[in-house]
Amino acid sequence: MTATPMTEQKYFSIGQPQPRIDGMEKATGEAKFTADLKMPRMLIGKLLGSPYPHARIHHINSRKALALPGVKAVVTGADLKGQKYGPFRSRRDETGLARDKVRYIGDPLAAVAAADEETAIEAMELLKVEYEELPAVFDVEEAMRGGAPLVHEECERNICAYRNFNFGDVEEGFNSSYHIREDHFISQGLSHGALEPRAALAHFDASGKLTLWTGTQSPYGVRQDLSLALAFPANKIRIIKPFVGGGFGGKGDLMPHEVAASLLAMETRRPVRISLTREEEISTTRLRNPMVMTIKTGVSKEGAILAQYVKCIANGGAYASTSVMLTYNSGLTCLIPYRIPNFKYDGYMIYTNRAVSGAMRGHGANQPRFAVESQLDMIANDIDLDPAELRIRNATQKGDTSVNGLVFDSCELSRAIQEVTKASGWKDKRGKKAANRGIGIACGGFVSGARGGSHTASSCFIQVNEEGGVILSTGSSDIGQGSDTTLAQIVAEVLGISPWDVSVVSGDTETTPIDPGTFSSRVTFYAGNAAIEAAREVKQSLAEMAAKSMETTVDDIEFRDHSVFVRSAPEKTMAFKNLTQMAIGFGHGRSLIGKGQWAPQNTQFPDKTTRYGNVSGAYSFAGQVAEVEVDRETGEVKLLKVTIADDCGRVINILGAEGQAEGSVSMGQGHALLEEILFGDRGQIMNPSFLEYKIPTAMDMTDVSFLEVGTPDPLGPYGAKEIGEGLIISTVPAIVNAIYDAIGVRITELPVRPEKILEGLKKR
Amino acid sequence: MSKRKVVLNINAEEYELEIEPHRTLLEVLREELDLTGAKEGCGLGSCGACTVLIDGEPILSCLTLAVEVQRREIVTIEGLCKDGDPDPVQRSFVEKGAIQCGFCTPGMILSAKALIDEKGSPSREEIQEALSGNLCRCTGYTKIIKAVEAVVKN
Repeated sequence: MTATPMTEQKYFSIGQPQPRIDGMEKATGEAKFTADLKMPRMLIGKLLGSPYPHARIHHINSRKALALPGVKAVVTGADLKGQKYGPFRSRRDETGLARDKVRYIGDPLAAVAAADEETAIEAMELLKVEYEELPAVFDVEEAMRGGAPLVHEECERNICAYRNFNFGDVEEGFNSSYHIREDHFISQGLSHGALEPRAALAHFDASGKLTLWTGTQSPYGVRQDLSLALAFPANKIRIIKPFVGGGFGGKGDLMPHEVAASLLAMETRRPVRISLTREEEISTTRLRNPMVMTIKTGVSKEGAILAQYVKCIANGGAYASTSVMLTYNSGLTCLIPYRIPNFKYDGYMIYTNRAVSGAMRGHGANQPRFAVESQLDMIANDIDLDPAELRIRNATQKGDTSVNGLVFDSCELSRAIQEVTKASGWKDKRGKKAANRGIGIACGGFVSGARGGSHTASSCFIQVNEEGGVILSTGSSDIGQGSDTTLAQIVAEVLGISPWDVSVVSGDTETTPIDPGTFSSRVTFYAGNAAIEAAREVKQSLAEMAAKSMETTVDDIEFRDHSVFVRSAPEKTMAFKNLTQMAIGFGHGRSLIGKGQWAPQNTQFPDKTTRYGNVSGAYSFAGQVAEVEVDRETGEVKLLKVTIADDCGRVINILGAEGQAEGSVSMGQGHALLEEILFGDRGQIMNPSFLEYKIPTAMDMTDVSFLEVGTPDPLGPYGAKEIGEGLIISTVPAIVNAIYDAIGVRITELPVRPEKILEGLKKR
Repeated sequence: MSKRKVVLNINAEEYELEIEPHRTLLEVLREELDLTGAKEGCGLGSCGACTVLIDGEPILSCLTLAVEVQRREIVTIEGLCKDGDPDPVQRSFVEKGAIQCGFCTPGMILSAKALIDEKGSPSREEIQEALSGNLCRCTGYTKIIKAVEAVVKN
């Protein structure tokens, strides 16, 4: 895979290929993930899940379970003294362990702590639960119908969230359109597939503090919700994030096993660790929601979009999770890549008695992106216009403000489309149908952290020690995406040292400053800027000392290559570590500590009625081209190559950026071609294992070419914008569009399967 | 079930343990010996995160009974460093950016090492096939393959 850097290299750390600073710990197996942690006298916990999709819990008899030797405690929803919680205040509908009702097969309602796992499993079987089965609903259309069983009594027609936009005048826009299309699309349920199944270790100590080690994206978010669930003061709860084996959006919410472990630890006064099996991980945590979409688009003769109506109905499962944000996001992200003067959106998230859908890389953007980008190709085909050209004609430009108020201070989408078509050989390969091969394009854009309703800023502390090393303390969570390394690079750049000299402490509510966490692609943008501010404060203190020592002014001091020197007289120099020794040691009576906090000032929480507002400080853009080969006999699709031209502003870590691109393509490949959560007739997940839910393997690896086409964003740290979620959203439609180019079969229902290809070929 | 005495040779050290015969090697490594480098990703042998080397072959320890592998040479990720010096495969993974979250990494490195020790100069296709039993959700495999190729080249 090739990366073409297009930004000038005037930095020594920024833009470099920086290996992970925690790479060797991971390579040697030393890195501890939550399930690797052990404490003296630790108990093992197990969750009991509901066998029914919808039932009232009348009674749980734990007598026999408690009598089993080795069993120390049984807890149920009745033991929870707190209130309902959830990532959004307006939709708090979870209790941790189900209290009055269970709402999907697998919904946890009790937990056991025992001396070992086998005893815990045996104890579970001895729990006697009296259920009263209730009618259940699994399909969104049925759930929305009057008279359908209600998953949550207070939620009419099972509408968990509804968001709508109406900007401009779509009727007018359609009336003036030269060509209109209305099409329907379906995107399937998916599992995050993070290799690490969730685990939590809870310890309630003699001082009355609850400590929870858990692989979470949001330590502060978990702390807040846990406090609500347990009716236990948040300042007596410490959440520590060990190494996390991937999250992809799924590990942000407080989960039942975290609540259960805490409750059991408080009950037994012993540490309790609960690890989920892969089956529990797939079927009782979070999914990417299945979505049905209707897209109606009207274009002018030249292919300019005049009006667009997007309707999304998402199957949310039994609890809300991030529904309110997701439902908004599906509409919001349609207005990032293209100039759309008239836009209407209706987005629904519907409760059903199935496993919960929540945030997954792209957070609701993926499904409508697949739909819109597919339809744009259909329109291009109808009006005989090159699909890449169609996109260029509609591309958002720097300086634009969208109809819903998004402000684009940096945007290189047009350049991305030009570069990606050039690099992929678009013109030569398009429409040639050479040996069942096809090439397809798609574009997308994403937020670099969306403005949330509550706490939104990131903060960092920096301490400098006498040997020239630096400790960066950040509340943001490295969940494997490499944020610790990126932040180390940023600090190193400011101070003229190496990222290897920066020790990063992250994700501990006791020792790192408050931070919303890792989601919405916010970490580099927010925490990166906070880190710069903290580093600059420390740099100022050191510069003052250096200036005094080398008899010059603060402005004349430069930090580079582990040393400071006088710009106007470079032979006057001092090693960084000598400077720090001097600063700390020589009776100046100061500690070298820097503090930084940051959130963009140009964002607004969207208006409650109109949803107007600039929700993010900067937006990423990408153009993506996929090449496929289709076997007409078997219907199998092989992804040959993906070329991405990405505007993520300035790339901080080129090794990291390429890794995100390659990983995104793989995940998008899975979404388009391989993966599907299969639901049975009682809402149960039929394929909760990697044997039957097939994520890409090394055999599916495709050639990925990553081009940087961004220009530094005015707000981003060193100009950086997001890259974690923006790329995957255009992978899926690029593949689907390539398939159409190869064999003339238009797939509108994901995933693409050999049967669908063969059926499509037959129809032609 | 009554416990049985077993002797396991792990990373060139002998361990005498008393365990029930149905315990898997993965459980014994992680719970009895605190060798947590081998991970449980699925418990079914479908993800490769539990991979260890047994007489040089990559084996799924979650599907292996500890009692079955006495008198065999077991190597876990912890055994790869020689006198504090990381194995070239480990070094290459770090340098080439083949590590993101790190969860699949121990199993992946061991599978790669076994391949290189066996084949010497495997082709890209051979590398892909040898690693096809080790799932990774973060990297898309590209840098992992390149990291292995870099070791082969040297």
